[in-house]
Amino acid sequence: MEEMDLPQMKKEVESLKYQLAFKREKSSKTVTDLVKWIEDCVPEDPFLNPELMKNNPWVEKGKCILL
Amino acid sequence: MAAEKAEMDKLKKECDALRTQIEAARKAVNDGSMSASAGGVAGLGRIQLKLRKNLKGHLAKIYAMHWSADSRQMVSASQDGKLLIWDTFTGNKLVAVPLKSAWVMSVAFAPSGNLVASGGLDNICTVYNIKAASPKTLRELDAHTGYLSCCRFLSDTEILTASGDTTCCLWDLETGKQKTVFTNHIGDCMSLALSPDMNTFISGACDSLAKLWDLREGACKQTFSGHTSDINAIAFFQNGHAIITGSDDCSCKMYDLRSDQEVITYQDPSLNAGVTSVALSNSGRLIFAGYDDFNCHIWDSLKGEKIGVLSGHDNRVSCTGVPNDGMGVCTGSWDSFLKLWN
Repeated sequence: MEEMDLPQMKKEVESLKYQLAFKREKSSKTVTDLVKWIEDCVPEDPFLNPELMKNNPWVEKGKCILL
Repeated sequence: MAAEKAEMDKLKKECDALRTQIEAARKAVNDGSMSASAGGVAGLGRIQLKLRKNLKGHLAKIYAMHWSADSRQMVSASQDGKLLIWDTFTGNKLVAVPLKSAWVMSVAFAPSGNLVASGGLDNICTVYNIKAASPKTLRELDAHTGYLSCCRFLSDTEILTASGDTTCCLWDLETGKQKTVFTNHIGDCMSLALSPDMNTFISGACDSLAKLWDLREGACKQTFSGHTSDINAIAFFQNGHAIITGSDDCSCKMYDLRSDQEVITYQDPSLNAGVTSVALSNSGRLIFAGYDDFNCHIWDSLKGEKIGVLSGHDNRVSCTGVPNDGMGVCTGSWDSFLKLWN
């Protein structure tokens, strides 16, 4: 990784100012929201709901495959 | 000379001060944790998947694969100089695309299914029309000054690329020209992923940082640190609010975008191999991470525990992918095979 030159350094300062301005939310809320979202999606996740995996596209059903 | 050095020092101090302020802003909102929020979540137990298909066809290391939006077709890229498009339901090869340059590192399927793109050490992203009678080169996107590590289509008219020249780029496929160049990383960009709403994307680089970018503004909105080596792989959760990274430091990490924090690290003292690739199950509860140790390990994203392993490859797992319907996972390896598991 090379050292930055003057114009790059100026851009870096601008970028950091922009990134600092981001409106951060409390992680107690955001992580809880994320956990809830994941848990709500689990019933629709074929890896975690065997019912959904019953129609397995990668398992041959009969002796013949339709090409 | 002295004036320039003085100004550089002043700017460096300003950067350091801003970074300190960003860290403080992060700490100020970090009143939670994954262990607190997921404490009540039941564990999953062991996840045991079966190998359903072993796709043979490539003659050299596989470097990349990407699912079609139809969850049935898949494209793989190998340094045997070919892209292969597979029907994963039958295991048949549908199309073979010969490459001008065999040193391919990335491949992508357009959401329409009409186009695929690839690139690598030639620094070029080549887009092919695979619906023509025989695969036809549509565009050669030639402006990066370093290798092409990753590419992803937004549509048949726009594609995003990540490069060893430390930049990412949004291209207009109708003109073949760059629309936006995303500059902020100070190391080779290795991987990128589009947000589900297509307004932003994330990149992982050899500077050990992950960055979130505004696609239309061109600016870096957030930077995620914590890894101690190259980030090789990156993926979005489908709600667009969290990301997973995989690194040469042998760990994966989850970063929460809304609070701008690292939330959890997935690592195991017995795992001393770099992470090459990551994919998430549809709910995001499972992380499939490909490693240099020839395995793909399965992590419980909420508990931080390793709960399964996909073993069978005879060399490094270089790529992994879960199709849109979430019905399984594909692993590709330097052993020249692709395996389908569910």
